[in-house]
This record gives sequence, C-alpha cells and structure tokens, in this order.
Amino acid sequence: MIRYVVRRILWLIPVIIAVSFIVFLLMELAPGTVVDAIQSDDMTTEQREELRRQYNLDKPMIYRYGLYMLNFAQGDLGVSQVSKLDVWDVFMTRLPNTLILSFSSLIIGSAVSIPLGIFAARRAGKLADNAVTIFSLTGMSMPIFWLGLLLLLMFSYKLGLFPGGGNREGIRSIVLPAICGSLGMIANTARQTRSNMLEVLNADFLRTARAKGVPEKVVIRKHALGNAWIPILTTIGIGLAAQLAGSVVIESVFAWPGIGRLAVEAVTQRDVTLVTGVVIMTSILYVLVQLIVDLLYAFADPRIKAQYIKYAKRRKRVV
Amino acid sequence: MNTTEKNNDEMTLGAVHDDDVLLEIKNLVVHYELEGETVEAVNGVDLTLRKGQTLGLVGETGAGKTSTALSVLNLVQSPPGKIKSGTISVCGQDVLKMTPKQLEKVRGKNVSMIFQDPMTALNPVMTVGAQIAESIKYHEGLSAEESVNKAAEMLKLVGIPRERAVEYPHQFSGGMKQRVVIAIALACSPQVLLADEPTSALDVTIQAQVLDMMRDLKEKMGMALLMVTHDLGVVAKICDSVAVMYAGKIVEYGTLNEVFNTPLHPYTEGLFDSLPNIKNRNVKLKPIPGLMPDPTKLPPGCAFEPRCRYATSECKEVCRKHTFGGSHTVLCTRYDDPEFHIELKRRDRQWQRD
Repeated sequence: MIRYVVRRILWLIPVIIAVSFIVFLLMELAPGTVVDAIQSDDMTTEQREELRRQYNLDKPMIYRYGLYMLNFAQGDLGVSQVSKLDVWDVFMTRLPNTLILSFSSLIIGSAVSIPLGIFAARRAGKLADNAVTIFSLTGMSMPIFWLGLLLLLMFSYKLGLFPGGGNREGIRSIVLPAICGSLGMIANTARQTRSNMLEVLNADFLRTARAKGVPEKVVIRKHALGNAWIPILTTIGIGLAAQLAGSVVIESVFAWPGIGRLAVEAVTQRDVTLVTGVVIMTSILYVLVQLIVDLLYAFADPRIKAQYIKYAKRRKRVV
Repeated sequence: MNTTEKNNDEMTLGAVHDDDVLLEIKNLVVHYELEGETVEAVNGVDLTLRKGQTLGLVGETGAGKTSTALSVLNLVQSPPGKIKSGTISVCGQDVLKMTPKQLEKVRGKNVSMIFQDPMTALNPVMTVGAQIAESIKYHEGLSAEESVNKAAEMLKLVGIPRERAVEYPHQFSGGMKQRVVIAIALACSPQVLLADEPTSALDVTIQAQVLDMMRDLKEKMGMALLMVTHDLGVVAKICDSVAVMYAGKIVEYGTLNEVFNTPLHPYTEGLFDSLPNIKNRNVKLKPIPGLMPDPTKLPPGCAFEPRCRYATSECKEVCRKHTFGGSHTVLCTRYDDPEFHIELKRRDRQWQRD
C-alpha cells in the first residue's frame, strides 16, 4: 500500500515537468510579455530593454525554463513578476477560497445527485427516470458561465437574495457559485449513479438479500449502494478535481478570489512565474485528489484492497 | 425411511389441511410480460410439501422450476414477472397476499432459498460472516455481536472454519461459496427450504459433498425441502417424491419409487431414456426429439404433444389428469384409454439411495 502511494507520488515529477514546460511554451507563443503589462508610456527604449534583460527576455525560452526549474527543484516557486510577491504565499492565500467553494459544490452535488440517480434507477424507463435523464443532459450541456449569469440575474439582480459576487458576505455569498459549480457534477454523477444502480439492482446478491428477509430500505442502501458507489466515487473524484482545476470560469463569473481567478489575472498580465506556479500547484492538487480517490477504492471494495495486500506480500516473499 | 414412505402413501395432491403441511401451492400462474409478448412460465402448478418431506422438482431449463420457487418467496422479478393467480401458503399464511413488511418477516425465517449460482449470489463487498449474520439479526433480534457469533457457528455447521467469517466471498472457492449460500439459507432454521439447483455450478465431487451435507442438515433440522433440479441423479440421491415439470405444468407427480420405476408420462420416459446407462454401454441414448415449445405460444392442449411419440389428434386440444394408486398423478390424455401404457424398456436400471 505504501509502496503504491510512493509510486503514485513519484509520478508527479514527470507531470510537473510536462505541465510547466507546456505553460512556458504557451506563454512564449502568446503575443506580449510581462514588460508590456508593467511598462508605462513615458519609458524610454533603453529602460524597456533594461526591463527585458531583468526578466531574461533577451535569452531563449529554454534558458528561462531551466532557471525556473532549478529554483523549483529547491522548493522555490519564485516571485510574481508583476507584484513581486512570493508565488507560494499568493497561492496559499487564495487556495482556501477555492477549497471552500469546491467542497461546497461537492457536498451539494453529491447530496443531490446520488439520491437522484437511485431514484431514477428504481424507476428505470418510467417518466421520472426520463425526467432525470433530460435534466442530466441539460445540466451537462449548459455552459457554466451562462448558467452563472442566469443565476446572478435571477437571484442577485432581480430578487436580491444573494450578493452579486465576491466572498465578503460569508455563507450567503457562497450559495450561488456553489450551486452553479455543482450542477455539472450533479448531471454527471446522477447519470453514473443511475447506470451503476441499474446494473446492481439486477444482481443476484440483491435477491439473496431479499430472500433473507432484509428490509427493502437496507437492501438498497447497504447491498446495492455498497456495490454501486465504487464507480460513483470515481465520478465524484473527477468532479472534485475538475472543480479545483476548473474553477477559472465560476470564479471569474462570481468574482470569487480563488486560484482560478488568480490564474486569469496572471495570464492577462503575462506573469509567467505566477501562471506556472498556479498551474503546477493545481496539477499537484489534481493528482493528489485522484490518488485519494484511488485509495478510497480500497476501503470501498475488499477485492481491490486484496490486490494491494497481495502485491506487498508477493514482494516480501521475493526479497 | 419407513415413516417417509408411509407419508407418501397417504399423500394425495392438494391434500387436506393439517399441521404437517408446510407449503401448499395451488393453481400458480406466473407470466413474464415483455414488450409485445408474454412468456407463460408457470401455468397452474399445484404442490404440497409436508414436514420432513423432500420433493424434487425436475424439468429442463425454462420449464418454470425457478419461477415456481421464487414465487414461494414472492420474489419473482417485477416487472416483467407477474404472479397472475394462485395461492401459496407457507405455514398457513398466504405469501401472495402479504404486505412487504409481513413478507420480510417470513422470508429467511419460515422459508428460505438456496440460490443457483454461488458466484453471484453473495455480496462481494460484505464479509461472509456479516451476510449470514444479517438474517439472524433481523429475525431473531440478537445483538450484532451475538449474530456474528451465531453466523460463525453456521459456517462451522457447513464445514467452514469459524475464523473465516471475516473473509470476503472472493477469498472462497466455488464449493465453499455454495456452502456459505446454504449457511445463509439455514441461518434461522427455516421450516421450508427451497433449493434452486444448489449443485449445478459445482463439480461432481463437491456436488456429492454438498448434497450429503444438505441431507444431514435437513434431517437434523426437520425441514421440508423443495429441491429444484434438472439432475435426476440428485433427485434419486436426496428426494422422496418427485414432480416432473414441463412448459410450466407438473406433468407427473409421485413418490420416488413410483416415478423412477413406473414412469407414466411420455416426457418422463424420455428423460430417463436420454440418460446414459452405465450397466449396458451398448444401449444408445435416446434423446427426446424437438425442443421445448416457445413459452410465448403454448398450444391449447398438451405442450408435449409435438414431441410425443404416443400423441393422437386429441392431445392437441385437451390435457387431462389421471391418478394411479392414490398418489401417482400424470397429465396425459392418452390414459383415458385404460389399455394405454408407455413402453418400459429400461428395467435393468436400478435407482437406489445410498
């Protein structure tokens, strides 16, 4: 088990190298540099050249990338090229906001989607099931920014129930972005839950459970869901990772000061160090969430747990 | 042995009510209503099972054996399955009229079932101990700890060390899984046990072990056993009466001796003729020609008529029941003619219980 975790974490290294290189390359290919963002009109050409030299913009991209990675290897994410603030500090002040938003979406999403999926599966082929399917398809195909704007228009502008953006009003300000973020997840997870439950509801062991005289509620909750939730877990994990990494749109629409908005701000200012730092940290989060989900598998399914244990035992015998 | 035979001699189909009758199925009709067609799986089955009796329900795949057994638990999958008519009384109560709550009390407690495929009958994410303990917990009101303890006892009863109660189904072999399935069914000492081909998924040596074990446990607990099988060897080994099922009807019913030594129905004859004869290896197998009729288009008369070598034109329209020697019944119109008999050729075969 530990070996497995270590191996998975070691996989982060190639991921980080690839991700940071791609970010550097894209920023290089994009028109404009950080100098364009911070220069003022009264600067002379010499001063601009001096600025370019400061940021090593006169050197090839591979040089700047090498320098960045060298620092990164020593645990230094560098300072923002624009604000001169430490990237790690900036990221860490924004991360809690994104985590709060992502987990709120996750909780709302799971609380709605799993019962919805079970409900649909138990009425498969009937009107209620079709309604859920239509809802899921709509949810999946609706662009998040558009939904966000609709929510803002209705509940903030027209009804004035919730603030129009930011995070200054505590729980009230989180409602709209969390609902908006959960919708895509609800759609996905409800569909996944439905199909898994359908598969499990026809399983022989449910008949065994009923034949034992187990109450129907327990049959569904313990026996059916106990088996169906393993793939559902993956969907939720992917959903959470997508929330963390894909918070850009929602955070922009709702002016939520999280890492997504930080990335957008950094990109508009061509702040390569900040963008790369944010992207690397987000990828690490993404990989860790996936790892946690995979480990949760072992607790959900004894057959998968057995694989880990068998692997460890086999190793011991060989050594 | 003597007492069982006496019981059988006294028995008639659809017998009078008494305390010994644990299971009584009357005129059971089960249909599966699919889109555009209806599969007529069970078409008027009558069965009676007394205390201590072992009844073999024999027939080929699709004859309606499993549907009959599932109906007793009111577990026919619906949709598409539907119990159209009939009464099934278990220990005097009609299971088909019960509320879900009442059913939960009867299932596993008064009547339980051993399922066909041990590979899929167990929940893969629960320990076997927990799966056995579950029915004990719901029916006997024991604490969690006591239930687990009793579950471990049940494992021991079926020949699995108690320590293995904490293991998961994937850690067991097929034969052991079947023992676990049996332990689950027996956990609350049911009065009626339905065994749906409990040995079909097992290899021959394990089959013999499991059958011996079931017979011992049955005698120890004094249950009535309905053994659903397509294996006549299993019937000979464990049953004391036999019902032969064809296209959703019981075509022949009698004691083991009656059915095995003087089969009356042409289908029963065909079943025996299609068994290999180990005493005379020169005898060729005589398979029954043709296939089971399409259960969505059953003929109005005898369903076996198209395959029957004794069939007359009358068989296409009607199918009458005849009783011989008090308990031996057969569903065949040809017995209207008192001279009619099927050709008993295989007298060299001897069915014996060990």
